[in-house]
Amino acid sequence: MDRGRLTPVGWAALLLGALIMVAPIVWTLLLSLKHNGELVGHSGAALHGPYTLENYAAIFGNSSTLRWLLNSAIVALGTTAGVLVLASLASYGFARLEFPLRRTLFVIVLLGLAVPSQAVILPQHQLFAWLHLHNSYPGLILPGLIAPFSVFFMTTYMRGIPRELDEAAMLDGASRFTVFWKVILPLTAPAQSTLAVFTFLGSWNDYWWPLISATHSDMYTLTVGLAAAQMNYAQTSGLGYLMAQAVFASLPIFVVYIAFQKQIVRAMAGTAVR
Amino acid sequence: MATLELSNIRKAYGGTPVLDDVSLSVAEREFIAFLGPSGSGKSTLLRIIAGLETLDAGEVRLGGERIDPLPPGRRGVAMVFQHYALYPHMSVRENMAFGLRNARVPREEIEARVAEAARVLEIEAQLDKKPAQMSGGQRQRVAIGRAIVKQPRLFLLDEPLSNLDAALRMRTRVELAQLRQRVDAAFIMVTHDQAEAMTLADRIVVMNDRRIQQVGAPMEIYSRPANTFVARFVGSPAMTLAPAALSDGEGPFARVRLASGAEVETRVPRAGLPAGDGLLLGLRPEMVSVTAPGAGTADAEVMLLERLGERTLVYARLAGGQDVTAEDKGDSPLRTGDRIGLRLDGAAAHLFGPDGAGHHAEAAR
Ligand SMILES: Nc1ncnc2c1ncn2[C@@H]1O[C@H](COP(=O)(O)OP(=O)(O)O)[C@@H](O)[C@H]1O
Ligand SMILES: [Mg+2]
Repeated sequence: MDRGRLTPVGWAALLLGALIMVAPIVWTLLLSLKHNGELVGHSGAALHGPYTLENYAAIFGNSSTLRWLLNSAIVALGTTAGVLVLASLASYGFARLEFPLRRTLFVIVLLGLAVPSQAVILPQHQLFAWLHLHNSYPGLILPGLIAPFSVFFMTTYMRGIPRELDEAAMLDGASRFTVFWKVILPLTAPAQSTLAVFTFLGSWNDYWWPLISATHSDMYTLTVGLAAAQMNYAQTSGLGYLMAQAVFASLPIFVVYIAFQKQIVRAMAGTAVR
Repeated sequence: MATLELSNIRKAYGGTPVLDDVSLSVAEREFIAFLGPSGSGKSTLLRIIAGLETLDAGEVRLGGERIDPLPPGRRGVAMVFQHYALYPHMSVRENMAFGLRNARVPREEIEARVAEAARVLEIEAQLDKKPAQMSGGQRQRVAIGRAIVKQPRLFLLDEPLSNLDAALRMRTRVELAQLRQRVDAAFIMVTHDQAEAMTLADRIVVMNDRRIQQVGAPMEIYSRPANTFVARFVGSPAMTLAPAALSDGEGPFARVRLASGAEVETRVPRAGLPAGDGLLLGLRPEMVSVTAPGAGTADAEVMLLERLGERTLVYARLAGGQDVTAEDKGDSPLRTGDRIGLRLDGAAAHLFGPDGAGHHAEAAR
């Protein structure tokens, strides 16, 4: 696309779109900086001062918040690491190894795409209860490792890597594992970072499973914890606090988006797989 | 002593045979070209030698040792791939060192070998670049360098020049020829380009239809093709093959009659030729010259002219409908549709029996 060719109408449309996207974010930010009492009567007060950081102070005043933040980080990073490892290994198998029932297994993985997580939540809950995994990190992480799309995505990507490279490496005396580790894996870096970003975001934002599985408040993730903390007085008298929570919870996501803009755009454009 | 010994190799994909009872012996430091049309099994045979493909039957020996059960990395062979297959994420230096690292060669030794190969191939300045930053010709050199540092007993090259533009291909061809002088190893190069095979190889292995059609020195392949396939495939433009019948006669050499009635006196010994007709007379364009109508062996009509500068190719048709390719001088005055005479130089002609087997003039030896 030729960037220089944007017409004035095009500019106006883009500007309007950007404003529509940004407005709620700015509004949220402004509300979060207001004293709760001021907003009870009229939320328009957020348009002018005085502003205050007291809502943020209140978040940190709740001793559990940092614990939930840590939980979310552990679960999201653990899930991301687990998905990358499993998807890489499984995809190498599907893309490169010959073994019985390979096609059948791949189809079964793909069928996983068609199973909504809601459909299996009851047996899953039961299973985790039997295994005494509720209220534990493994209990929060394991369901996130069911990642058929990641396996499909990575398999497709690996199949795009020329087999001649494997063969050259084999002639260079590389073992199967060396071929995987030193040749194939480094070449999947773009796919890995794309998967990492989406898995991290998905896990960070997940609400349902941690809500069901983590019943002790010290095992809450940030999403569950903040939601629990707001129940009593939000909406009515705690609008500023509520908004401060929203801003706080989405900060890591902002950071990830900004840091991995390139990968996200590429994945959205569908060009990550060459 | 033979470096590489292939015995009775068979290979099929699914139920489709690709190689059928292929045997070949390659001498030490010999340069062999596998020449054949696309799909004739050249790459498959090369990959069997490399260990990238399994064989269904037969043996591969290198330096007397049976290597077909060994994994590719243990065979003492190095391969240059058609698309180079350089590791995109590694620098040139790492690309060349990778195989040596896997073989646990000491570091100083790796550095020394990489430096030497880089010097020989004149890619010293590129050692820290990634393949994507290099031109096709430079990548080709790296691919060759990666093979050289391993000091293999046998180099395998699959269409190594086919991705280069014409000028670079010529230059790389010369460099390959120089390389093999310096390296103490045998070479096998797959190609479908006969000029490459003719200029580089000590011996050419012509392949077609699952089998080796002929093995011989380039000029032997050219001047004594074993069968009609080799006769047609080697040489450009292709040899004319005209149906002919053996004439009666007593002389030691065969005399044949074409469908047009023209008679050609060959130098092919009559003894050993199959009796009766069903023969094919083989004539390279340079054995057929243009004369005035009636003055040659046969009269013909010019169908098409190709002016190549130093010579002109004349595609002509004899009275019986037989097409013959002839050569004329560069500034030939001929025009399409002209009636001409053709002088067929029987002394250099070939005869092919009904089974396709070639019979050649004794003088050509
Ligand atoms: N992996 C494969 N599976 C099935 N058929 C193959 C495979 N590789 C090659 N073939 C077939 O084997 C024949 C010989 O192929 P190849 O050795 O690549 O020919 P060449 O290198 O002479 O062009 C071709 O008909 C090709 O289609
Ligand atoms: Mg080939």
